[in-house]
Amino acid sequence: MEKERGHGFAAVSEAVATSVRNENMSEIHQVGIIGGGTMGRGIAAFMAQAGIEVQLCELDQELAESALAKIGDYFDYEISRWALTEGDKRALMKRIGVTASLQDLAGLPVLIEAIPEDLSLKVGLFKELSRLNPPTTFFVTNTSTLSITAMAEHIAHPQRFIGAHFLNPVTRVKLVELIRGLQTSGETYQQVREFLIRLGKTPIEVYEYPGYVTTRVILPMINEAMHVVMEGVASAEDVDIAMKLGYNMEVGPLALADRMGLDEVMKWMDYLFRELGDLKYRPCPVLRKKVREGDLGVKTGRGFFEHHGKTE
Amino acid sequence: MKALVLNCGSSTVKFQLIDTDVDLIAQNEDRFLAKGIVEKIGTTDAIISYQQGDEKPAKSVEEVLDHRTAVAMCLSLLTSGTQPAIRDKSDIGVVGHRVVHGGEKFSASTLMDEQVVAQIRECIELAPLHNPHNLKGYQVCAQLLPDVPQVAVFDTAFHQTMPACAYVYGLPYVLYRRHQIRRYGFHGTSHRFVAYRFRQIFDLKREEANLITVHLGNGASICAIGAGRSVDTSMGFTPLEGLVMGSRSGDLDPSIILHVMAKEELSIHEATTLLNKHSGLYGISGVSSDMREIMDEYAAGNERAKLAIEVFCYRVKKYIGAYCGVLGRVDGLIFTGGIGENAPLVRARSCDTLSFYGIEVEPGLNESTVRKEGEISPRGSRTRVYVIPTNEELLIARDSVRAVLGVPQPG
Repeated sequence: MEKERGHGFAAVSEAVATSVRNENMSEIHQVGIIGGGTMGRGIAAFMAQAGIEVQLCELDQELAESALAKIGDYFDYEISRWALTEGDKRALMKRIGVTASLQDLAGLPVLIEAIPEDLSLKVGLFKELSRLNPPTTFFVTNTSTLSITAMAEHIAHPQRFIGAHFLNPVTRVKLVELIRGLQTSGETYQQVREFLIRLGKTPIEVYEYPGYVTTRVILPMINEAMHVVMEGVASAEDVDIAMKLGYNMEVGPLALADRMGLDEVMKWMDYLFRELGDLKYRPCPVLRKKVREGDLGVKTGRGFFEHHGKTE
Repeated sequence: MKALVLNCGSSTVKFQLIDTDVDLIAQNEDRFLAKGIVEKIGTTDAIISYQQGDEKPAKSVEEVLDHRTAVAMCLSLLTSGTQPAIRDKSDIGVVGHRVVHGGEKFSASTLMDEQVVAQIRECIELAPLHNPHNLKGYQVCAQLLPDVPQVAVFDTAFHQTMPACAYVYGLPYVLYRRHQIRRYGFHGTSHRFVAYRFRQIFDLKREEANLITVHLGNGASICAIGAGRSVDTSMGFTPLEGLVMGSRSGDLDPSIILHVMAKEELSIHEATTLLNKHSGLYGISGVSSDMREIMDEYAAGNERAKLAIEVFCYRVKKYIGAYCGVLGRVDGLIFTGGIGENAPLVRARSCDTLSFYGIEVEPGLNESTVRKEGEISPRGSRTRVYVIPTNEELLIARDSVRAVLGVPQPG
């Protein structure tokens, strides 16, 4: 560090930092993300674009590096769409660090979990995170189906635990379902809500209940669209055209199901059916058939539509 | 009186401390005391540069997570060290803020109070990327320097004298009523400063000179000044209109963007970035948004770099010609801004067929006038062509001091 005529930068910045630090507790500038899959990467890219510094944790260094490379690929795609510049990308990549150790996330004010939808896996992770972090940390799970309350039971401060259901693609969908578990405190809800609003999201308040709002409302529509096809009322193409042109939907329900993955759609339907016991959530037989045949949608190249050249 | 000039952007705070008063302004002897910049605010590796007087600048990297910390750091730098710029922050007599958009509400620099702040807030819709940060600077200073008056100096204020025929677009008039869609113009402080300086050089009264001021920086705009008042300017509702800029398109057929959005399925955000960051010199040349790098490429034989320079200069020339028509008589043509002050080639090309209007550039003078004030037109020219380095901070400091002293603001 260069010092000119006694201008001690370190002393100046330390004094300034101490004097203002206390008032800045509510301003969150860093987050930790656990899981570098589609959602974890999406949340990381979104956070970086909103000016937040991100530490992304994966199971090992190789997976971590690969997640970072994929985030870089995503920014390249954005550049090709003119949404970013090369300079923007460099700045964004500098905001994202990756690690294979949960310890590197210790002390970050917000930790967001985005690992596979498996309750025991998530519980194990939060037990570990709860041990490594101070009681001031906010624990956020990105589950779309599992119980917040069940997960919160295993951490030391369940009032600091909350669900934030981001939707894919995270950088484009403004909505976040903010889910309160039984023990989530009002303060936790408010602070996480304000944080998300500051980043440009629109959170809605949801009380823990299977399927929340988005999943619960869209699934029966998708399921009904499948029934329409099965009953021979209209072709898959025409069902989607009808809903797109008739109701200004950007994507038809069957193309949407193909994108979500038909196996995922079936899993969610089964889950809602089991939890709520209402016949309206019974998965359409066509859905079961397609899943059994391995036609899972975009990811396998075929679902209700052909997706050649579009597999991930 | 010591004026702290602040320019708060989304991730930067620029500051400058200038000592000035009515006498010093009259003698053009304002004293520069110190300046600095905090960049990459919101990160743990923000860059802070600070320069006091004519010392060597010092740099450092620190954690600066918000504007409050950044401004507190500026104040600490000004008051620390063995021979600080000021003994105590109470030595600051006024804080002058650069505010990008004053809408139709502000036609001059204004002392800030809650009412003024509320009005600036109402202009956020017109400059969503700038005004909120400018206001943050005000709020932070109100906390850190509670007894010091603050003044807002607007980029748009100078152009509020434009007649309706210059600021109304050929759109349904109801859009002007409903959403304030009109030409506002920007760079007002720069245009006003160099015009003032030109009149000072020739000892002219405000109403005695008709001028065209050409600000060519990373952003670029041109202004027709009739009898001291802005009568037209090239930037419009936003700083995107007018000249071709570093990475901004400037004028184009509005249908193009609608057509491209449909063809390439672009969102509003993507289209906005396309026009603001992927266009202009950068978009045409594919090289850079920096004129210096494009000149280097041009010298090395790059055809697209050559084309970028040609398009850039041609657009400047077209506007100069248009504003000659608007003004009728032109006494002075002034180049300023990074490119205007440092690129003789651009100045020469932008004027090369304007002798009809009495505008000529003398090659020797043009080549030798770089990074300094001076005339570049040949002896006896009808229109005096000048290079005048801009100094927006100085004008902000002067306006701020005048606002506090209750002295009327000259144009």
